[in-house]
Amino acid sequence: MAMAAKRVFEVFVSKVPWTVAGKDMKEYFGQFGSVKKCVLPFDKETGFHKGYCWVRFTTEEGLNNALQKDPHILEGAKLQVQRKRHLFIGQNSHSEYD
Amino acid sequence: MPFHAATENMAALLRSARLLKFSPSGLLLNAGTKRNGPLFSRLYSGALAGRRTGVCSRQISRASENVSSRVWPYAVGCLRSYAVATDLKDEASVAVQSKQSQQFDWALTKLDSSVRRTGRITKTLLLQIFHNFCRTGYPSGNQALLLLRSCGSLLPEVPLEERTELAHHIWEKVQELGAQYDVSHYNALLKVYLQNEFKFSPTDFLAKMEAANIQPNRVTYQRLIAAYCQNGDIQGASTILGFMKSKDLPITEAVFSSLLTGHARAGDIESAKNILSVMRGAGIEPGSDTYVSLLNVYAEKGDLDGLKKTLEEAEAADSSLMDQEFLRVIYTLARAGHQQHVPELVGHLRHERGYSPDAMNLCLHLITQGHEDTAFVVLKSFHLLQSDSFNNPPSLGNFFLRHCVNMDVAVEKISHYCRYLQESNLHTAPLSFALYCALEARKTGMSLELMKILKEQGLPIKPHYFWPLLTQRMKENNTAGVVELAKAMEQLGMSPDADTLSGYILPVFSSTEAAQQALKDAGISLESKGLLSSVIRLMAQRDLAKAYTLLSDPSFPSLDLNAFRGSLITGFKKSADVESMAKITELLYKDERFSTGSVTPAESVSYFLYSLINSIPEVKVHEEEDKLRKYFNQLQIRNITIPDNIYRGIKNLLESYHIPELIKDVITLVEPTSQVHSGYVPAVSNGKRSEVTLLELEQKLAELEAENKPLGSVFKQTIQALCVEENLQRALELQQKHEEEMTVGLYATLINLCCHHDNVEEALNLKRELSRKDSSAVLDASKYIALIRLLSKNDRVEEAVDILKEMKEKEVVLNDMHNSLLFYALNALVVKGSTSTIQRLLDTVFTLGLAKPSSSLCSPLISVHLESKDLSGAVEAVMECMKRYKQLPRIHDVLVGLVEKGDTELLQKVMDFVSQERGDLFFASLQTGRYREARKIIETPGLRARPGRLQWYAEKCISANQMETLEEMVDMTAKLFECDRDEMYSYLLRLCKETNNWQKAEAVWMKMQEENIVPRERTLHMLAEILRNNGQEVPFELPEAWYEQVTSATAPTTATNDNLYQVRLLALCKGDKVKEAYQMLKEADKKGVALGPSHYDSVIRALLSKGFIEDAMAVKDIAQSHVPGFKLSDLARNLLIVSHSKRNEPKDALDELKLMLQANHVPLQLTISRLVQALGRHGDVAGIEEVESLMKGLSTTLKLSNMLFVNNKALAHIKNGDMDSAVEVLEAVYTSPDSTSPNMSFVFRRVLEDGNEKALDKLSAMAERLANHFDCYRPASDLFLQLLDNDKVEDAKSMLARCSALAEQKQALVSYMTRKSQSPGQVGRIKTLLSLIPDFTEKEVLYPYLMKCHVLDKDLSSAKALHEQMEKEGVAVDELSLKRLAVLYRSAGELAPFPEPPESFKFYADKLKEKTANTEMTAEK
Repeated sequence: MAMAAKRVFEVFVSKVPWTVAGKDMKEYFGQFGSVKKCVLPFDKETGFHKGYCWVRFTTEEGLNNALQKDPHILEGAKLQVQRKRHLFIGQNSHSEYD
Repeated sequence: MPFHAATENMAALLRSARLLKFSPSGLLLNAGTKRNGPLFSRLYSGALAGRRTGVCSRQISRASENVSSRVWPYAVGCLRSYAVATDLKDEASVAVQSKQSQQFDWALTKLDSSVRRTGRITKTLLLQIFHNFCRTGYPSGNQALLLLRSCGSLLPEVPLEERTELAHHIWEKVQELGAQYDVSHYNALLKVYLQNEFKFSPTDFLAKMEAANIQPNRVTYQRLIAAYCQNGDIQGASTILGFMKSKDLPITEAVFSSLLTGHARAGDIESAKNILSVMRGAGIEPGSDTYVSLLNVYAEKGDLDGLKKTLEEAEAADSSLMDQEFLRVIYTLARAGHQQHVPELVGHLRHERGYSPDAMNLCLHLITQGHEDTAFVVLKSFHLLQSDSFNNPPSLGNFFLRHCVNMDVAVEKISHYCRYLQESNLHTAPLSFALYCALEARKTGMSLELMKILKEQGLPIKPHYFWPLLTQRMKENNTAGVVELAKAMEQLGMSPDADTLSGYILPVFSSTEAAQQALKDAGISLESKGLLSSVIRLMAQRDLAKAYTLLSDPSFPSLDLNAFRGSLITGFKKSADVESMAKITELLYKDERFSTGSVTPAESVSYFLYSLINSIPEVKVHEEEDKLRKYFNQLQIRNITIPDNIYRGIKNLLESYHIPELIKDVITLVEPTSQVHSGYVPAVSNGKRSEVTLLELEQKLAELEAENKPLGSVFKQTIQALCVEENLQRALELQQKHEEEMTVGLYATLINLCCHHDNVEEALNLKRELSRKDSSAVLDASKYIALIRLLSKNDRVEEAVDILKEMKEKEVVLNDMHNSLLFYALNALVVKGSTSTIQRLLDTVFTLGLAKPSSSLCSPLISVHLESKDLSGAVEAVMECMKRYKQLPRIHDVLVGLVEKGDTELLQKVMDFVSQERGDLFFASLQTGRYREARKIIETPGLRARPGRLQWYAEKCISANQMETLEEMVDMTAKLFECDRDEMYSYLLRLCKETNNWQKAEAVWMKMQEENIVPRERTLHMLAEILRNNGQEVPFELPEAWYEQVTSATAPTTATNDNLYQVRLLALCKGDKVKEAYQMLKEADKKGVALGPSHYDSVIRALLSKGFIEDAMAVKDIAQSHVPGFKLSDLARNLLIVSHSKRNEPKDALDELKLMLQANHVPLQLTISRLVQALGRHGDVAGIEEVESLMKGLSTTLKLSNMLFVNNKALAHIKNGDMDSAVEVLEAVYTSPDSTSPNMSFVFRRVLEDGNEKALDKLSAMAERLANHFDCYRPASDLFLQLLDNDKVEDAKSMLARCSALAEQKQALVSYMTRKSQSPGQVGRIKTLLSLIPDFTEKEVLYPYLMKCHVLDKDLSSAKALHEQMEKEGVAVDELSLKRLAVLYRSAGELAPFPEPPESFKFYADKLKEKTANTEMTAEK
């Protein structure tokens, strides 16, 4: 039966300019609440990051703060910030609650 | 009108004739309407005005001349039919030709979209397409044309000489591959020469054409004139002009423009100017083309006054110029070194639509040719256009900067442009964009210089800017280069940080020591924390023991765990070294050096543990169970404790992974003080693993109740446990008692349970209660459907409809699985005969848009009638479904029913209805332009052409002048069975005749050739008539080439016969009459008839697939004698290798493979398998190794299993009698540390089949050794099961005695049983297995498979006995088995002593699968 699925307060950020490093992202989103994790994947082939990033907040509040702000401008570029939805993976039919 | 026109025309060229019809006028734009007639479009098709030569653009616009010359129909024609080709699924069209056409289509789309968007093509794209064409075998004439055309000014980013080189390269390569060139190819090449200002001798060119026996046409002459004029050779031009006159070819404005240029280039400005009056004298009013030529004359001289005067003249003559034309003049000015006048002309620009791509291309041309400053002046004129883009930060000039970087423009200049762009607010960050381009192009020097400038401007330089450069050097294994970059970083005032070191610097060195040394030698400081943590990171992932040594060294400075936690976790997950893991954990736990922040070491270690467990994926955690347990126990021994909250976190994780067994190992780590509170109650995970019985839970619940304590999770667990046990009664009691504890999840579970128990009232109660508590609560779609099923089965239709409405309201989305659940819910009503309920629910579903009408969802409506044997009712229902939902559900079953019943009257009615409806639907879709749908309908299997109907519709199109619709219909019916293609095309030609559209007629002719149609004479007459009426030559040049070959032969074969040959040949190949096809081909050869290369290839492939290698090679020789450079296609090569392999000629096969790879063709996976097996049979180990290494060298992987090589190598050794080597090869696979224990049954099977006792002994010894000494049971169980399969029971028994662990290989044994139960007659084997290992699996697993076997064997008495046994032993019989048994009873004509489960097999199978997901998973592994 369903365990309390972990709630994840995560945003998906795209259109990240190439000059921005993971550290910069963490710092920028830190203004909305404490950032637990920030993943900006780099392409090992090209050496550039892939232009998108996941930022995970410790609290829902941080997440909401980040989502409320618009536009997000970083190093002159407009970031696209979306809520990341985790819960509609259908393999466990009981998990849609909690 | 250069650039823009180029876009328009190229695209039009690539698209459809509809556009083409308008393009001549589109070309003229505002240049005087009177010249728009068809005659004048021919005028425009004329030669190039060569003088502005410089202006490539000029020539691009000449794409238009193809419009009226005979070049265009190729492109147009093939586009249409190729578009069809991509949709075809017919096996027969897998021929080279269709593959080619698909590629052609793909390439066209790619090029077209590039040209459309940007007016240019990149070299990369062009090369990619070129290589693709070459790989398939024979590039067609059309493909060659497409490639050649793209080598001119459509490549503004490529220097002129390089473009011509490219054109020549393509020309030669494609010719080598056997493409036939005609005049259009030569014309295309000429155009490329002109566009690229390539100096060549027109006389030589003509000689070349003559040698190739190709007649130059008007277009050729015009271009040659342009070529002479480009060099100022009036005399040469005049010669050709005289020739044209003598041939009575029209002299067009374009020719005059060329002459104007020619005179000017020869230094005779007066004569040049005089051309205008000559033109007028000849009755041709000078158009903008002529004026642009004149403008270019002045531009070349830098004569601003002349320019201005000509502009005024043009204005006066109503020939005001377009932006594109100004851009051409600007180009000429720049090329001639008079850029000071450019701003003057830029002032004239009007920024019309389409300006941007044209001006961009001009910029690119200019930069490529070293005029970047002029290009920048043009770029600046862009800013007016960009002002409206308020939404995005401005970024004007990206393309400009990128091309400057690519062309290695000096950094100072680039930086100057950047400053301007930024200061005028045209671009927010031009410099960093330029840097991006430099990095992308891996230009180290330029990148570093740009970074220096960035830094000077106070912008930050970040370590990751270096990564693109570093990756490049990492790939090259260039340590010196890496060190150099590290140095450069330091020089820019930044030492490499940890990420850079661990990701991009250290990995290139063989060891961290070597790296440290190299960096130290280069004078890079090593004391940084960055280096230290990256060393640790690397070690943690590579070798935990080493990492421990390093960390525990007292000289190691303090470094927060955060800096390497991630890598440590990765290392822990990978490593099996529990000892080191524990030691490191202990060190971190006790040593203050690793927790520099406010947290204590104990805290950070606890969190580390949590993160470790959290990071193991659920699927892996079961494999890691042992390791983790050992690790936890080690931690306990080392007195490491964790706080209660962390324990709870880990506990939750373990529970969610369904591995509560580990919890007891973690709990021992909890600090003694907090252990009391943690209340160790692991959750019931999924019934199977429940450590706590329901009873205990109930007791616990009672206790809590008595103590008036919060029930919390105990309540939830109890309810869930009750649901697992299907105890609805008790669950409901508890629910009522503790309503306040109920959560949405629990309601959902309970409702579902009610559905299981068919308890409508309670289900509805619960649902209502839930809605009351939380009206927004949404159930899972499958639960909603279960509820609908329950309600509708109990005649609560309205309530069921309400549920559907609620689903819609709450936006529940249905996927395929839900759709099939819905189908089952409806199908459940069939037995009850509830037609109206089904109809009502379906209507609601479709009206609400929850699902789209499909024949499966509609089928219960028909099933209701079929069930009650009411065929006429079923027929009615089908018709109704067609009317309402455009579906024909279960039509096949209805037809079969009617045939069985012999009701011919009704049958006829249905057949008529179906054909009619499909037809109507088809025509209706066509009429409304829904071509995709129409195509789908026409592809209905079994549909036949109804000539009457097709004719009716074609006539309709002809009388209503609907060319597009008619064309679509002709395209779509290409593969329709029994469709008379010639007839279809003749409709199109009739419409062309009605509208006197000779261009379209020519396109139709091309299409017919593409489709290999044999036209009737009257069709050819009609075509010729249309063309002649419009003063066109009859364009049968391409077929004439064939005819010539044919007529030169003695036999009086006509062209039509030739085509007939090909068609019959293909039919024979398709129809398995290979030898006949071969005979026919030989006859044709004797008569001297040559066929197209693809036909030869078809016959070759047909022969090869039957194993007739020699005959196939004979055909190849014939083909080569007719088609120079004929080569086998990809498929044929594969077949050849397979045939050789099958005939046990692996040497020949291997040689073929090598040839194939040399030619850059990629073999199929099957080909390699067959070849390797053949080599194995032959004992050719070296051969297998060679294939293996060849495959490794392939750029693409074929998904070949490594075991293919291993197994066959072993077999090869065995064949050679070298048992030791065989054993060695196999053993190496299983003893390697990262062995996945692959399957080697293949080897055992072969050996057993061959009865090779000696090999069997050796292998079995090996298998047992691996099992007994290495705990590796795969080979042993493979052998054991192969023995069973070969009925060597005694051998199997003694093997089991020697190797008792075999009995524990549950996975392998169960999956053997699963496999066996899939084919009939295998029950004996399962029983044998059972007799050897009685308890290899649980009865619950075993019996259903046995039942399946009995049913497969139609052995009712055994099945009955089994059923009895199950009941006696109290083993629950699942519904699937019951259903199977029931069907067996039924087919034996007996009545089952129990009710047959009503649903389909699939339903119960799915249900079972869900229930036993765990067992299944293990069984399948």
